[in-house]
Amino acid sequence: MRALAGRRNVVALAGLALLVLPPLANPYILYVANIALIYVILAVGLNLLLGYAGQFAFANAALFGIGAYATGLLQVRLGLPFWISFPAAVVITTLIGLVVALPALRLSGLYLALVTLAFAQFTQWLMLNWERVTFGAGGFKVPPLTFGSLQPALGLYYLSLLLCGLLVAGAWNTVRSGIGRALVAVRDSEVAAEALAIDLARYKAIAFSLSALYAGVAGGLYSAILSFVAPEGFDLFQMVVQFSMVVVGGLGSVWGSVLGAGLLVGLQEALRAFKGGQEIAFGLVLMGCIVFLPDGIISLVKRRARGWEEPLRAPDRRT
Amino acid sequence: MLPYLVVSGLTTGSLYALVAMGLVVVYKATTVVNFAHGELFMIGGFLAYTFHVLLKLGYLVSLVLAVAAALALGLVTERLAYRPLMRAPAISVVLAAVGFSFVLKGAARQIWGGLGDYMPFPPVVATPAITMGGLILVPQQLVVLAGALVCMGLFTAFFTSTRTGKMMQATAENAKAARLVGIRVDRVYAFTWGMGAATAAAAAVLMAPLTFVYPDVGSPLLVKAFGAAVLGGFGSLLGAVLGGFSIGLIENLAGGYINTSFTDISAFLVIMLVLIVRPTGFFGPRAVRRI
Repeated sequence: MRALAGRRNVVALAGLALLVLPPLANPYILYVANIALIYVILAVGLNLLLGYAGQFAFANAALFGIGAYATGLLQVRLGLPFWISFPAAVVITTLIGLVVALPALRLSGLYLALVTLAFAQFTQWLMLNWERVTFGAGGFKVPPLTFGSLQPALGLYYLSLLLCGLLVAGAWNTVRSGIGRALVAVRDSEVAAEALAIDLARYKAIAFSLSALYAGVAGGLYSAILSFVAPEGFDLFQMVVQFSMVVVGGLGSVWGSVLGAGLLVGLQEALRAFKGGQEIAFGLVLMGCIVFLPDGIISLVKRRARGWEEPLRAPDRRT
Repeated sequence: MLPYLVVSGLTTGSLYALVAMGLVVVYKATTVVNFAHGELFMIGGFLAYTFHVLLKLGYLVSLVLAVAAALALGLVTERLAYRPLMRAPAISVVLAAVGFSFVLKGAARQIWGGLGDYMPFPPVVATPAITMGGLILVPQQLVVLAGALVCMGLFTAFFTSTRTGKMMQATAENAKAARLVGIRVDRVYAFTWGMGAATAAAAAVLMAPLTFVYPDVGSPLLVKAFGAAVLGGFGSLLGAVLGGFSIGLIENLAGGYINTSFTDISAFLVIMLVLIVRPTGFFGPRAVRRI
């Protein structure tokens, strides 16, 4: 049993279920599954930045929003089709993520947190006040997508599943490559990393642009699934949701993020109607997990089943 | 227009300064930035609202009660989000505080949110604006400015003159040495968090009559106060005060001369620019690179 619950078997089985079951699911379950895939993309991307590269930034929710706005606005304002505006939005988001990386080259720790927090507030303000472009607080509708003979919701689900699979596999390969080792070296000690001839600027830029790329893809898919884009989904609470997913799953663990995102989307849906309740729940989950389960749920899985080892050490919980 | 903008800039600036002082006090003692500080401010405002508007207590009584309650809440924050993580890396401490801040925000939304999104707070002095040689003065603003200055003075006096304040300074300087001379460092940490929360609540009670109280007031304020502290070189109380006044002035001037919608955003732009160009701030010593 312990051997059967290894990563390879579990991932294969889960992948098969995600591929085969959706045509049987009701529309609401399909929608939740699709949202879960989007959050898996977001959490894995954020973990590359936070858990692996150790860069503490608050920009991910804003970048998620930029991805959604760019995908939607390119369609609505310029009349481009989704299949052009979506990749273009991903490129735009990645470039903005690179710009956010610029201060990270000079700053670290709390100062980086502050700059990115200011960047997040600034983005939120632009979404609300730059009405000539962003339609302001009311948001705007995005033209619905069609997928040939396939039902639109199902088509979008499979698109999300494909991209999610590719991006998770990409992250998994990245952390097993020299890039992953370099990111972890930067996280554990910048001075030591420099002494090993690791170019700090280059790897910080890689970490930021990778997480921005993931956020951009997630944002584009999110705008398509809601057919609507508005500022409030991309505020600081969104950031807390993503932090919770990464921490609950386990900092510095790709599969942990997959797990954490899947679990917490359920929590978010259960509390959909109560903004205050959601805030309390996610706040408690984040706090409780850091205090009582600092290595995340994945540490429990690793202890109980074989075959879940990951190549790189998780960040030190105690100093 | 300019004198009016300057006065109102100084008024909001004095509140940012007060909030920034709380941040710096906690940072100096514990080397942690309390990311729940904005929400402690928000809760302070709501407590004052409850005491003053709902329970119809006097303004000064409400101020004292709200500050005392916030002090207790600060102690709770320390117990829940800081003490268990004393040996954990900074990221964990900040994340726990962010989590706690959202618990407070959600709780405020559940408790007070039903009363309407923006709650008006009656002015402390109802006198109309006075004109003095072309200068329009709103008495309410002057009351707030004076109140904030008095609070700053009281807190500074507390840190420099009282026994507890000196213990806090000693702990901030060197926790190990402080423990060696018999200071109970754990208690000092707890009390520092309490004092930080108390300054935030004092600022909130002063601000409430000028603006509104609402559950989301905390996070933009945290960024501005944090920015004020950074402008002041993080770690000096005087620097935080000067930084707070600068941010208040910049905001109001940008709002008055460029566009009112710039009031909110100019502070964030300035913070981003300053941190990128001169991360050590303007009033503090140049930071030493730690390995």
